[in-house]
Amino acid sequence: MRAFVALWRREVFSMMVSPFAFVLLGVWFLLNGMLFVVALNTQQVMDDLRLLPPFLFGSGMLVWLLLPAFPPLLCIRLFAEEHRVGTLEPLLTAPIRDFAVVLAKYLAACVFFLLFWGGVLLLFLLLHWHGGDLDWARVLGGMTGAILTSFLFLATGLWASSWSSNLVLGAGGGAALNYLLLFVPALFELNEGALGAVARSMHLPNFLDRGFSAGLLDSYALVYMLGLSALFLFLTWMRLVSRRWVP
Amino acid sequence: MIKTERLTKHYGTIHALTEVDLEVAPGEILGFLGPNGAGKSTTLRILSGYLPPTSGKASINGLDLMNESLAARRCTGYLPENFVAPSELRVSEYLRFRASLKGLRSKQVPAEVQRVAKHLGLEPRLRQPFSALSKGFRQRVGLADALLGDPPALLLDEPFSGLDPLQREEFRTILKNLATSGKAILFSSHVLPEVEEIAMRVQILHHGRSKAVGTLEDLQSHLHEKAKLCLRLSESGAQCEQVLTDAAKELDFSFTEQNDKSYLIELNDHSKRSELFQRLAASKLPVVEFRELRPDLDQLFRNLVEESPS
Repeated sequence: MRAFVALWRREVFSMMVSPFAFVLLGVWFLLNGMLFVVALNTQQVMDDLRLLPPFLFGSGMLVWLLLPAFPPLLCIRLFAEEHRVGTLEPLLTAPIRDFAVVLAKYLAACVFFLLFWGGVLLLFLLLHWHGGDLDWARVLGGMTGAILTSFLFLATGLWASSWSSNLVLGAGGGAALNYLLLFVPALFELNEGALGAVARSMHLPNFLDRGFSAGLLDSYALVYMLGLSALFLFLTWMRLVSRRWVP
Repeated sequence: MIKTERLTKHYGTIHALTEVDLEVAPGEILGFLGPNGAGKSTTLRILSGYLPPTSGKASINGLDLMNESLAARRCTGYLPENFVAPSELRVSEYLRFRASLKGLRSKQVPAEVQRVAKHLGLEPRLRQPFSALSKGFRQRVGLADALLGDPPALLLDEPFSGLDPLQREEFRTILKNLATSGKAILFSSHVLPEVEEIAMRVQILHHGRSKAVGTLEDLQSHLHEKAKLCLRLSESGAQCEQVLTDAAKELDFSFTEQNDKSYLIELNDHSKRSELFQRLAASKLPVVEFRELRPDLDQLFRNLVEESPS
């Protein structure tokens, strides 16, 4: 446990002092601020401010464009960078289990990504202080869904990062996987029959739009997102184990 | 302490290591010699717990690396080839992190970091970032990392690479002191003088197979190589040639005159070196130098590959 906590703390610290992580954070705040303003100026939201969370977290560009790209960028240093620089070998020869290494890195990335969401929450608070009549159940529900989605994308990003010492491949692979997770179900969700049903059961923006952003805690979506995150963490662990056999 | 039995590692069709046996006792330094690609790093990586063997056994302090990997890793200090620490961390931060990673309690960590830093002369560098250190100090940080938690076994992969002669000398002294304190040390190298200086025994690998193990003298005898000795006198004289001619018959050696004051002696039986020395001393010749010419690694290695059974 001491080794796990030590690694988790070191990963959080490394992100906190990483200029790249803060550039990402800055770009995220900038783009989210712009999206927030765009959303506020749409006619539907101007008519009813309660529609802002679904607009931003559900069908809006935040989920479709920004969210799949940022977590893998944050994850590249976790394995790909360590492998490239040569610090992975000392880490994996320390007395710590491989799965603890994966989990510590993942949880550190999750904690740091909460800072990203903190900025978005601040925008809602500013709107509230300026007299905006917000439905906080929808705001917090939407944010919960978006945070869970980002945690899922961090897990896919971590998995992609474990495959290569090439940073571009690591980040690009993770982002590509995330876009596939979003767009493939969207392509088939209107199909009738089993394919459409499967696609609808995997369509993340639907969960966010109709569930979380409506202020509802969708247990299926919760299990789906957490389960898929666990699957990618397991795959990352398997990759780490297999790397020992086939470097 | 450090032990392998029939250790084998295959990467698909590539046989990186084939049935290698080795053993390092507490307080012993074993030099692992061989050219690039011989399997030295693979052996050390298996012993460090980084790679699993395809077959065979590896253990540290009696703990099997496959079945008790975590416990075995706690008993091992490992310095990988081309050691690197995260550039964003200061030396003290890195060592504190590694001490915690090795399971030391938070109260023990500062004292342990101070202990290894003092031992390796790193105290003035503790506040510097790793990226600002010279190669020599980076290696020291790597060794300090390996020493955290006071493990009984040390695995050092090419610990002298990139060090200048002064740093090599310091590093050798440190390793000798560590062996004196009872640690079992296995280090790899492809430079014979480094190994000769500190290794108590040498093991030579070639194409993933152990070719020979023993002291350098053992290896020379094993190869039936003649011991080559250099004799230099302060003044020339016929008396010297007479003494050498008489001794040559009894002690079975040949000699050639290099110039009028020095001779190259080739002794067939290594064990008769001291007898020859005594004979020269008794003859009261004006000897200013009497030393053994050690074979270079290339020659020794070539002989081993060509002559010794695999």
